[in-house]
Amino acid sequence: MEFPFDISPMYEGERIRKQDMYVELGGPTQPGFELVISASPDEIEDMNFTLIGPDISEMEEGKAYPYAMIYRIAGKQVEKDLEPVVERRNHDFQNYIEGYMHLNQRYDIWIRISKSAVKKGLNSFEQIAKATMMLFKNELPFIEKIDATYITDREEVEKRLQETMKIYEERDLRTLSLHDEDVEEFYSCTLCQSFAPTNVCVIAPDRVSLCGAITWFDGRASAKVDPEGPNAPIPKGELVDEIGGEYTGVNEFAKERSGGEYDRIKLHSFFEFPHTSCGCFEVIGFYMPEVDGIGWVHRGYDEPAPNGLTFSTMAGQTGGGKQVVGFLGIGIGYFKSPKFIQADGGWKRTVWMPKSLKERVLEFIPDEMKDKIATEEDAGTIDELKEFLKKVNHPVVTGVVRDIDGAKITDGWVEEKEEEAPIEAPAETGKVQETPAMQQIQPGQIPVFTPQPVMNPVSGGGIKLVIKNAKINIEKIVVSKKDS
Amino acid sequence: MALNLKGSFVLDELKNVQITIGKILEEGEEWDEPVGPTPMPGIADLRKWDHTLLERYEPFYAPMQDFCTLCTMGPCDLSSNKRGACGIDLKTAKARLVTIACSIGAAAHTAHARHMLDYVIEQFGEDTPIDLGPDVNVEAPNIRTIIGVRPRTLGDLKVALEWAEREIVKVLHSTHIGNEESLIDYESKAMHVSMCDHIGMEVADIAQIVAFNYPKAEPDTPLVDAGFGVVDRTKPVIVVVGHNVMYARPVMDYLEEQGRLDEFEITGLCCTVHDMTRYNARAKVFGPISYQLRVIRAGLPDIVISDEQCIRADLLEACSLMGIPLIATSDAAMRGLPDATDWPVEKIVSALINGEVPGVFLSDPEKIGQVAPIVAEEVFRKKDRTKLFFKSDDEFREEIAKCTQCMNCVFTCPHSLRIDQGMAHAQKTGDISKLAELEDRCIACMKCEQACPKKIKIINVIMQSNLQNLYAKTGMMRVGRGPIQDTEIRKVGQPIVFGQIPGVIAPVGCVNYPDLKDDLREIIEEFLRRKYIVVTSGCHAMDIGMLKDEEGKTLYEKYPGNFDAGGLVNVGACVADSHIAGAAIKIANIFAMRPLRGNYAEIADYALNRIGAVGFSWGPYSHKAASIATGFNRLGVPVVVGPHGTKYRRAYIGKPWKKEKWWVYDIKTGEKTYIEPAPDALLISVETKEEAIVQLAKLTIRPNDTGMGRQIKLTHYLELSKKYLGRYPDDWPIYVRSEADLPLRTKDELLKILEDEHGWKIDWEKKKILEGPIRPLDPGFNPTLVEEVFEKYSRK
Repeated sequence: MEFPFDISPMYEGERIRKQDMYVELGGPTQPGFELVISASPDEIEDMNFTLIGPDISEMEEGKAYPYAMIYRIAGKQVEKDLEPVVERRNHDFQNYIEGYMHLNQRYDIWIRISKSAVKKGLNSFEQIAKATMMLFKNELPFIEKIDATYITDREEVEKRLQETMKIYEERDLRTLSLHDEDVEEFYSCTLCQSFAPTNVCVIAPDRVSLCGAITWFDGRASAKVDPEGPNAPIPKGELVDEIGGEYTGVNEFAKERSGGEYDRIKLHSFFEFPHTSCGCFEVIGFYMPEVDGIGWVHRGYDEPAPNGLTFSTMAGQTGGGKQVVGFLGIGIGYFKSPKFIQADGGWKRTVWMPKSLKERVLEFIPDEMKDKIATEEDAGTIDELKEFLKKVNHPVVTGVVRDIDGAKITDGWVEEKEEEAPIEAPAETGKVQETPAMQQIQPGQIPVFTPQPVMNPVSGGGIKLVIKNAKINIEKIVVSKKDS
Repeated sequence: MALNLKGSFVLDELKNVQITIGKILEEGEEWDEPVGPTPMPGIADLRKWDHTLLERYEPFYAPMQDFCTLCTMGPCDLSSNKRGACGIDLKTAKARLVTIACSIGAAAHTAHARHMLDYVIEQFGEDTPIDLGPDVNVEAPNIRTIIGVRPRTLGDLKVALEWAEREIVKVLHSTHIGNEESLIDYESKAMHVSMCDHIGMEVADIAQIVAFNYPKAEPDTPLVDAGFGVVDRTKPVIVVVGHNVMYARPVMDYLEEQGRLDEFEITGLCCTVHDMTRYNARAKVFGPISYQLRVIRAGLPDIVISDEQCIRADLLEACSLMGIPLIATSDAAMRGLPDATDWPVEKIVSALINGEVPGVFLSDPEKIGQVAPIVAEEVFRKKDRTKLFFKSDDEFREEIAKCTQCMNCVFTCPHSLRIDQGMAHAQKTGDISKLAELEDRCIACMKCEQACPKKIKIINVIMQSNLQNLYAKTGMMRVGRGPIQDTEIRKVGQPIVFGQIPGVIAPVGCVNYPDLKDDLREIIEEFLRRKYIVVTSGCHAMDIGMLKDEEGKTLYEKYPGNFDAGGLVNVGACVADSHIAGAAIKIANIFAMRPLRGNYAEIADYALNRIGAVGFSWGPYSHKAASIATGFNRLGVPVVVGPHGTKYRRAYIGKPWKKEKWWVYDIKTGEKTYIEPAPDALLISVETKEEAIVQLAKLTIRPNDTGMGRQIKLTHYLELSKKYLGRYPDDWPIYVRSEADLPLRTKDELLKILEDEHGWKIDWEKKKILEGPIRPLDPGFNPTLVEEVFEKYSRK
């Protein structure tokens, strides 16, 4: 089919200003929504389009109208869990259309059609729907059949919106209630291997990719399009460590896909076999041994954290598809996870975040922790942080008790000594394999965190001189026996 | 007798011993990154990498002449495979000339860096810390990678600069008669000396950012006025010209101290003014070298301060004719003027004002700061304001009347502008519009005037014909920001991998455009609209600020200055190009944690196989442009040059039909794998803007693109080819690894073409390619051309 408009990714982000707009659909003044639902193949006449209400050619220039776009999809691999994933692509695909602006999603959609597009011959929603359906089928070949119903009749949009709101609610519930233990397979993301060859992202219902872009549902959809592609399914295998989130299937997969760079990953652990990081994580977590707690800082915050380091400096220590203990790159969505670093105490171990990040994820912080996590307004240095944590009686002060199993995983600052905690006496006696590539840290033990190399102090104090590339010209040396 | 003692010793006494320690480091200052294979490389150390590159991207020579005239045994005719008196053949002779050109370019930036570094160390101390802002952790990617040190202070830059100086001398030595026999080894030397150039640039720019407190990787730097018509002619005008801001900068300081900055116009040409705006956004930009004669012959300056590089060699003469005093400041261009550095300020001022000398050589920046405003004010007071390109309209018409249409001017013009037709039309009809049309294409090189038997002031005629438009040339340039932030690089990682950002286009370089300058804006905007990241510097960055669209807006006003999709990033003057190379290096460091220290080949190999960045110089002419481009080539970044770029005499063009040339080691499978020819050239010249656009889009393709990345790159390549050349390119199928690579909209159409015209096997039900591609798409593909890199990562 020939379209009277160009279709290209170059129109993504195209803004249509009010004076250039022919009509507005949905948006701040009119009801609107978009919906993708699965159906059985015999219900659908492929590529069929139905319009309820006035078409573009019947609309008055400069006015706003109600707007609903309902797609039904069918195919052997189509399933309910894919509906929201496919639905979100409506935004991407429609933005490829020249002179057609699509903003937001679900019941917030806001569309504008430009005057110049209408001038060039865009006069029917059928043209839009057909183009969108074509793109759906080209990009997602598991969609074998698709049809579309667009509605611009106010009453009909309002009526259907009520039903649709229920579907959205059900989906949200499903997303929130689906956990790692409920599924048979996780998904990998090896996209970043194009830049970080050993990085393997493991995407589970309780752990979004660390760039924030791919959820378990996204991974599932992508795996259906191409099982050998970048989001291959990872059979979970046997559960090795429930609390840390370790599975034999994940370990095997990680070993193979990282080219043997590492062979164990615990999905919800900060200190022990943490997930690897590529370079594009949204947030970096950092351990502060002085308070035995973890801070988080996001990409947009460029002031130093209480440990004196900026996001950029800390990020420079991790990444590259390596397991780096003491730092962890995550996606912002991981803060929503009920398993958020649960092995190491989760929110109870979290002591600091920039205010803007804390506000963004505030609803996911347990109520009792909301006031106990410092921001830059409370603490800019380790000393200020210590004061703050003492004042609010943060769990790290007295020792963190893990929610999941009630285990006390840190000793707290009882003695408040400047020296390191004793190396022996880990609280848990989990067997840990020797892995030379990484520094082992067990719960209860304060890891020696070394952002910069520290020279070995000379025994007995004093200064140790390391002389490099120095020419010492000594005319004569007299070597004599030392008196014993 | 030699004594070899091992173990612990106790020294009871040290007597009459002198221990010289070069440097004392405090705990934690030492860089723990292990040293790679090639810190401070000599000519031979990266030769293997060059040979690997040049095996694939064979040098292609386009001699401007077949004779060699470099020694007294010549001239030697090298045509028809003849050798010269020294034994050299034509290709090797051309490779030698390229090496010489790159050496000149490298020497220019490196000497610039030397002047700058010595000065700022003297002024600010060698312990001045290098701080490029909170989001720049990898402060000197080129120095880290090539030299193998992590500079903490201005003083630390010395070691890098000394290395570059040493290597440039060695390469220059190799161009003496009777040295190299292999053209590939000359090309390797050209690459080596061009890598020195990138070090010189990085030292110079870091030094000035730190010492003069320029913007530090800030995306939203101020917009400054740019264009011929930007100055307020009711104020004295101080004009700086050249590439090294250290001499003229104190003018700003002096006037600021005096509280008189408002009473003057501080403007300039070329990179010096670029850097003046970075120092103080009150400075205004006239434009690049093509505006030097325009500005001087219009009588706009009340004083001109020149320093070095890309300044007309007839500057003094041009200024003298217009009664404009000149202060030459750099020992690179003393212009035959008396050295007034030791004269008292009053003596210099009076000599210039009274016309005792047409100009002075003055290398003391502080004195320049004091002298220039006083002289400018005095010249301004006395100046005849009516004098423009011509005293009167009659004089202008008389000049036109002299033309006999002999066409000597046309034949000598670099762009063959039809001056004769403009003159004839004006003579016959009185209508000067055809002459006016030439103005925008004219680079004001003055060759026409030299050729004219009637001694017509052709430049003045052209300028006068378009006077109104000339003065209406006012635009905005975003001030150079310096480096790219580490965090910006992290931020674009995901959209690059996901194909939302197709690549990085870097328009840098000079003004020898083939046609209308506005083409540059069109080319760049095409990529900005398509969400490429555009990074610019030097003359191109200035010209972009002078070109407006139909709505009167420059690209700087339309697109943001951050390193992100659709961002237009001005890094600054030529020497800031080092930050563009630096950004590529940082990608390898930040995403793959590839160690930088002395690890050049691995990083360049990473860039070649993964980073979709392409350099672009639409009007290259200088030797610096040659070395900048060749330096990018060694780093694995392809460069597209405009048609005059062929006069560099050499291109690096791959031959896609020679399948055996296109291979890599795949670390994942441990096998040597044949790949699609991506990128298919390292240095290539194009003739038209249409060709430029299509070529740039193609050269962002890399073997390691994800499916989504390749899909978006192919989409733009095909769309742009169709839009500008009217058809799909011939070679698009070789870039298809699987159906995931195909553009979304035209997937069916393209699958059909692959089946019908190329014999590929397609499963139409699943819309899957079954047979046809050179290799399948493998998400874990891990390519390298470097044997050592292959071995290093395969061992695990």
